Amino acid sequence: MAEDGEEKLLATVQHIVKTLGRTDTMTEDILKVFSNYDGRLSLDKLYATRAAAAAAAVAAAGGGAAGEHSVPASPPMPPPPAVPPAAAAMPAVTSLERTVRTLDRQISQFVAMDRLIWADSADADAFLEAVDDLIGTVQELDAAGTNRGLLDRADELLSRCMARLEDEFRALIERPDDVAPAAPGGFASDESEEDYDADDGYGDEPIPIAKPVSDFDVVIDALPPGSVSDVHQIARRMVDAGFGRECAEAYAAARRGFIDESVARLGIRSRTIDEVHSLPWEELEFDIARWIPAFKMVFRILIPSERRLCDRVFDGLAPYGDLAFVAAVRTQALQLISFGDAVSAASRAPERLFRVIDMYEAVRDLLPDLDPVFSDPYSAALRAEVSAVCNTLGSSIKGIFMELENLIRRDPARVSVPGGGIHPITRYVMNYLRAACGSRQTLEEVMEGDLGAVGGAAIAVDPDRPTSSLAVHIAWIMDVLHKNLETKSKIYRDPPLASIFLMNNGKYIIHKVNDSELGVLLGDEWMKQMMSRVRRCSLEYQRGAWAKVMSVLQTGGPGISSLPAKALLQKLRMFNGYLEEICAIQSEWVIADEQLREDVRAAITDSVKPAYVGLISRLKSSPEAAQDLFIKHSPEDVEARIQHLFEGVSK
Amino acid sequence: MPATDYQGSSSHSHPSPFSSFGRSLLSLRRDSPAVGASQAMPSGEEADLEAFQRHVAAHLADIRGEEDEFLSIEWIRRLLEAFLLCQEEFRVFVAQARRRGALPAAGEKLVVEFHERAVKALDVCNAARDGVDQLRRWERLADIAASVLLAPGEIHEGQLRRARKALSDLAVLLVDDTAASGSGGVASFLASHRNRSFGRARASPSRAAVAGASSATSASHFRSLSWSVSRAWSASRQLQAIGAGLAAPRAHEAGLAAPVYAMGCVLHLAAWALVAAVPCPDRSAALQAHHLPAAPPRAAFPWAPPLLTLQERLAEEGKRKDRRHSCGLLKEIHVLEKSTHKLTEAIDAAPIPLFGDREADVREAAAELAAVCAAMRDGLEPLERQVREVFHRIVRSRVEGLDSSMHNAD
Repeated sequence: MAEDGEEKLLATVQHIVKTLGRTDTMTEDILKVFSNYDGRLSLDKLYATRAAAAAAAVAAAGGGAAGEHSVPASPPMPPPPAVPPAAAAMPAVTSLERTVRTLDRQISQFVAMDRLIWADSADADAFLEAVDDLIGTVQELDAAGTNRGLLDRADELLSRCMARLEDEFRALIERPDDVAPAAPGGFASDESEEDYDADDGYGDEPIPIAKPVSDFDVVIDALPPGSVSDVHQIARRMVDAGFGRECAEAYAAARRGFIDESVARLGIRSRTIDEVHSLPWEELEFDIARWIPAFKMVFRILIPSERRLCDRVFDGLAPYGDLAFVAAVRTQALQLISFGDAVSAASRAPERLFRVIDMYEAVRDLLPDLDPVFSDPYSAALRAEVSAVCNTLGSSIKGIFMELENLIRRDPARVSVPGGGIHPITRYVMNYLRAACGSRQTLEEVMEGDLGAVGGAAIAVDPDRPTSSLAVHIAWIMDVLHKNLETKSKIYRDPPLASIFLMNNGKYIIHKVNDSELGVLLGDEWMKQMMSRVRRCSLEYQRGAWAKVMSVLQTGGPGISSLPAKALLQKLRMFNGYLEEICAIQSEWVIADEQLREDVRAAITDSVKPAYVGLISRLKSSPEAAQDLFIKHSPEDVEARIQHLFEGVSK
Repeated sequence: MPATDYQGSSSHSHPSPFSSFGRSLLSLRRDSPAVGASQAMPSGEEADLEAFQRHVAAHLADIRGEEDEFLSIEWIRRLLEAFLLCQEEFRVFVAQARRRGALPAAGEKLVVEFHERAVKALDVCNAARDGVDQLRRWERLADIAASVLLAPGEIHEGQLRRARKALSDLAVLLVDDTAASGSGGVASFLASHRNRSFGRARASPSRAAVAGASSATSASHFRSLSWSVSRAWSASRQLQAIGAGLAAPRAHEAGLAAPVYAMGCVLHLAAWALVAAVPCPDRSAALQAHHLPAAPPRAAFPWAPPLLTLQERLAEEGKRKDRRHSCGLLKEIHVLEKSTHKLTEAIDAAPIPLFGDREADVREAAAELAAVCAAMRDGLEPLERQVREVFHRIVRSRVEGLDSSMHNAD
């Protein structure tokens, strides 16, 4: 019976409210009547101390029946059933009507404000309080489910609040210096705004520009702490009211400008893959040199700072913060990553190796640090993109390294190096490999082919062993080089000169290997082989170049002493002729390595001189020998002539 | 050879990657010493070529699908899948030619040519990825509008306001992307509509005040800045570059000429469809059929008829009156635009409080929009992954091409 009556009353109230509209004084009177109907919900009790801090305009009324609505940890909010259902329903409606009415008046004033509400912290506080009350009221109405009309009205009011909050939210993020710092008086004079601008305004925020930065442990605070807390307050209300998605979109839209500008300041030009593909290397190298610090700057400072800001703004409001963060940083992150892809897809000329290694290392070193930044499921895709570009750069390095092999193999044997000296390709390859060894940890990593694991735990690779992939590959390159040099040696018409050529290049290779970490990689076994190869070349040279000399100097063993003096003289003449010939030709030949040159000369001297001495003494002791025997060269002369070989002096 | 028959018949009915797997096995078998050593060389090459062309034709024919699936996210994914399968076939074909030693310098040059062409598609992949991300942003805004209006209970002014705002933000994005795409149409309708109807909703004192507080207008808040390719980049120019010099080899050109030509055509088709389907800078000119490379002669290549069928359908779709000025031919975009349009009109026509038919109209439009949003949420992620897969496969195949041509030189 009583319930029935209440229902009727409720319907009447709803009807009255509907027909009367919103802010008619009559409505208020009627509402007053209804609220006096039950003493439990007197206005005094309801509107106790809440509105004290609010502006004068709203001093008369304010606050709400719902009380402070605390932030729930997750968006779907369980509405607090503040009102016991049946018995209190009717009076509650009445008081809620009243509340909504006052809130409407109060909020309408704020929403109509032609300046930022947050320009005045007292206004902002009052507005937030009103919004809180409204959210509470809506929840209460929703839970009660008895007054659809009032709920709709409150909802409509809420949507207006949210639109305004979104505007304020965006303004606070985009132009925090338009808003005065929260001054005690609550009013911001023009002067103070200017001061703020000049001293510690957002525009002066130290955004590092492409200077060499070694310490990346920097966080940019794009917003002053006061703004962050203001913005967080708004975000909380929007999420509470079920407008979390709008809030995330607004946040991303507002941050994107800052992020775009920050990246632009790093001097990064956006290039298409096609452009990178056709760019001259010098220009691309320049781009890479700018990209590396920019990439570090963005992924080590800018994006983590964005993450921090986002986490603070959306503190306790997951997953909206994650959504907002990805939407804000995605484009710029991808754009930077895309350059890595473009470089990977471009030419594999060997000279590119070192720059690509730099890029790879920059990305690889960054990966572990990204985990806390891209930890949520929304940014996992970004994390995967960074991993992917790391892999792509890795295989590009591998490809470039292989291309070197290709180039060596294809290097044609056209012009011979004069004097059998060191071929440019030998110098190039050895210096290249030596330089590459400087990055051998990285090279090993990519050669190992275990690219999938890159970015996880660092692969435990010991590059200092000849069985490592890199070592095997370098040994292979050395082999290819050796084969190429052998082919090149064939264009010398003089076989001894070909031996000199191989010897020179072999010695150069040994020298360069010993002089660097290549020695560790290639190992002792390889070195032994290489040295015996050079020795073999030296022997081949001696045999080839001096065989006829030696045969001329042969005077037979001690038993055969019957060679006539005439024959001995003939031998001497021939020796003189050969020596002239050899010296004429071979003084132009080159042995670049001083030690080797000495060794070869010594070896020649050691075999030629004693034989020559033998021939001369034989001649002198020959009974038929003429008294006025003319010996053109003393053994010391011969030695001196030999000492002048291989100096590469052309006449 | 029974194995060949098996391959030939099975590949048509299964668009799965297994078919290509099976084929690769077969190819290996054919390449085994038992068969390959003696006189099988020339005939092996011929058979391989024929099989390759037949497989490409089958992959393309597999894409067709149901009429209402055409240009859906799913359909684009099938197309990209077909491209990946064809590329895999091509890779195997080239590897076998090399192993047989049947790849002279001229053949290697053709392979390099294809890779150069494929590299040009990388920018299209990047643009398409950005386009997909744009779609995701549209979906997020559209879904706000749809889900607000589909909440249980009556639709009231607050919900309408909220939906209107989301739709108006969406309209800004659509207008912006349509401008970038180089067309007008639905988005320009939405733009004018925004000024008329959303304008009313947004011209609250607060909005005007906040907007007035700085020189940046509120309309620019939602401007899309999401192209990681530069704005000057043109999808239509890129497509022309991909199709440049794509001409059918003459009958006497043996070896790799035909497969390389087939791959060039398939690549162009995939890139073209991608550009046509999703928003990207300057895409509208790309839809003009006269930008297409010369059509492959139907009789000469088994894959030409299915390829041309797809091409014609795409061109036709681009010419359709209601699609010509769209941000993308993707079916889901079309539905999104249509239902956004419908919902906007329904909201405009609706008096408050909503009841009866008006409310039903709004709810119906919202339900349509919600459905397409759900489809996009499900489909866009895998589509983006597949676009990336195409990207990485192109890069990888180029690397492998270089490597194997090098080892072959020994």
